[in-house]
Amino acid sequence: MPPIRDKFTIHSRAVVCQDVELKGDITIGPGTVVHPKATIFAIAGPIVIGSGCVIEEAAIIVNRRKEVMRVGDNNLFEIGCRVECPSVGNFNTISTRARIHYTVRISNYCVIGAACLVVPTDDETLDDYTSIFGPAAERRTWSGRGRIQEADLRLKHAEYLREMLPKFNRLRRGDGA
Amino acid sequence: MAPAIHYYCPCQSGESVQTPPPPHMASSSASFHPLHCLFFCEECDAVRCNRCVSIEVSGYYCPNCLFEVPSASVRAEKNRCARNCFSCPICRSTLQVVASDPPDGGDGRPSVSLSNVGEPPFFLYCNHCRWDSAEVGITFEKPTGLAAQLQKFEDSAPESLEFERLKEHFEPFLRTSSLSSSLSHVPSTSSHHLPTSSATAAASAALARDVPGVGKYNPLARSRVGRDRTANKDEMPEYKSRMEIGVLGQLGSEGDGSDVEALRRMELAEEIASLEQRWGNSWTTSLRTSDLRPLRIPLHSKVSKRCPTCRHILIKPEQKAQSVRYKIKLVAANYLPAMTVALPHTQGADAARRPQAKAPSASDDRNAGAMMAGKSYPFHLALTNPLYDPIQVRLSVQRMHVTAVTDSTAPEKARRTPFAISLPTSSFPVAAFAEAWEYDDDDDMFGLEDDELGLEMGRTRDKDGKGKVKTVGVLEKRANVTVVGGEVVIGKEARGYVKFNMLVSYTYRSDDPLPSEDGAGTPSRTVAKTPEVKTFTFYTVVDLGPILPREEKVDPDI
Repeated sequence: MPPIRDKFTIHSRAVVCQDVELKGDITIGPGTVVHPKATIFAIAGPIVIGSGCVIEEAAIIVNRRKEVMRVGDNNLFEIGCRVECPSVGNFNTISTRARIHYTVRISNYCVIGAACLVVPTDDETLDDYTSIFGPAAERRTWSGRGRIQEADLRLKHAEYLREMLPKFNRLRRGDGA
Repeated sequence: MAPAIHYYCPCQSGESVQTPPPPHMASSSASFHPLHCLFFCEECDAVRCNRCVSIEVSGYYCPNCLFEVPSASVRAEKNRCARNCFSCPICRSTLQVVASDPPDGGDGRPSVSLSNVGEPPFFLYCNHCRWDSAEVGITFEKPTGLAAQLQKFEDSAPESLEFERLKEHFEPFLRTSSLSSSLSHVPSTSSHHLPTSSATAAASAALARDVPGVGKYNPLARSRVGRDRTANKDEMPEYKSRMEIGVLGQLGSEGDGSDVEALRRMELAEEIASLEQRWGNSWTTSLRTSDLRPLRIPLHSKVSKRCPTCRHILIKPEQKAQSVRYKIKLVAANYLPAMTVALPHTQGADAARRPQAKAPSASDDRNAGAMMAGKSYPFHLALTNPLYDPIQVRLSVQRMHVTAVTDSTAPEKARRTPFAISLPTSSFPVAAFAEAWEYDDDDDMFGLEDDELGLEMGRTRDKDGKGKVKTVGVLEKRANVTVVGGEVVIGKEARGYVKFNMLVSYTYRSDDPLPSEDGAGTPSRTVAKTPEVKTFTFYTVVDLGPILPREEKVDPDI
């Protein structure tokens, strides 16, 4: 296996803490907040993360496939989740300890509930506004009501973190190859 | 199944029998309980279980908002929370009251800052599954007092109106007959015990009340059952229901036509509401998930429990709904030694199997967890002393009569003694319980960093490996835990589970002076030479697990 060459492109307005484990070719967009102890592994292919995302502690974002893994804007990856999907859209919420396989593609405004395992055997795309909940990972479609309030909350969340995290954690600056 | 120990409560066995039933019978499992469910009455010196204690409600509260509801309004609100607490029909979690989104600027970004209060219409929103009540058409103009706003809606449901009509119809007859029957019945029903609280008195009067059309149940005079069936029936006119019976079916609450149509047209399994989603309703509602409505959260009650014989309070919770503590908490775990049982050969096998790269054959895997017929196995009993005084424990196995359990083809001797248990016969001490800070940093006290009660695998395994060390007797003493070993010898033709009743009696020094003998309940109180020593005896059942027959073929039982 070829050795993984680290190449981090971190936007100047992103907040990435020192303790984050980064590996491989990673691009992080403006306004994204990565909490300490998060893990982003671009093992086989690169990872591109959009703007305004919040990646909390112990979250694991892994790309084990050759093609680019694209994560969109304003997503929330809560504590302990593990995401391997090749593409994630905008304004999604992946709750605590959820696990999503590389066979799934997530669109926009989806909610993966806490501790849900989204592990279908075949390739699958989750439509917009899908909500997965419960121990059996049942699905239903969100009507979309309340999404503006939630989007507003997400923006405020990211803004608050961008302001407070640097006061208490050391930041990692983007470095080249 | 892991080996377990359960404790015996004598409430089921009647007043004269004190020994527990044979454990191999399925019906006897009702008398045996794990220690954490049991209570202990200090006055009677007896073990009480949840079946024999008498229960009184000490308060009602909503589990969501923790508001204490006075008992008067419980009935009025139909046992549900009167404030804004609703449960999501899909996932049964709590619903949140949210405002609607402000009108969109058109490009997705919020153009105006959202005000704190939000905009009407308000609706209920589930944070877990993202269901909202606007899907069933329930919206509110104000964010408070939602239950009242929904109440009008609920009350106009046809089932509710029908129920009200039925109640009005029967009420005059119930009132007159309850007056007459309560006067005549109270003396006869008080033979068991005197209901001391108004709640139980009301309950027994309600049970004894005459229902028109049903014969009176008099437990003392059974011969009169068939006689008086039509005494009250002639006074009641015909009841006319509010609407035709078939109309209700079309509204979706009965089965038949409309449901079959819906089932024919359905595409996904999620369209039909599951049982957990539907059984919280007061009456049958339609089967479709899209028809499920949010329900007000049912109230929970805090109960206090009393000993049935001496009326001493065993459990009394605090009045506040938020606190989980108890004013009075007489649980058996504070009086009886906690016992756990383990089969060391299973744990040894588990630990030994992991480092092996290749697992042994499938039958060995299965057999490592259970016991095979024709062999003998040691087992470990760990006793934990909860008292602040050391105790002396004596164990004895109750002799069992295994009569005609299996089929007639099995030989006689196998049925009589499928297994034999040997336990240490002499009494052994268990040290007193002391708080953790009382110990010095003594490594011998704590041994390994093992949280399990009393089972030290490393030490016992070494002992067994050294050859024939004693398996029956006190194996280890550590803090307030003592591990004793016993042995079970399984007969060649044995089947079923290894379960045996064990009598445990322990002596301890008590502070209070002994009163004169009252002789009630199970224990055998013996006054020893020094007047402070007391003995308590209780029965347990030890279940060591299934027996695997030696031959692999399935024998034609049954």
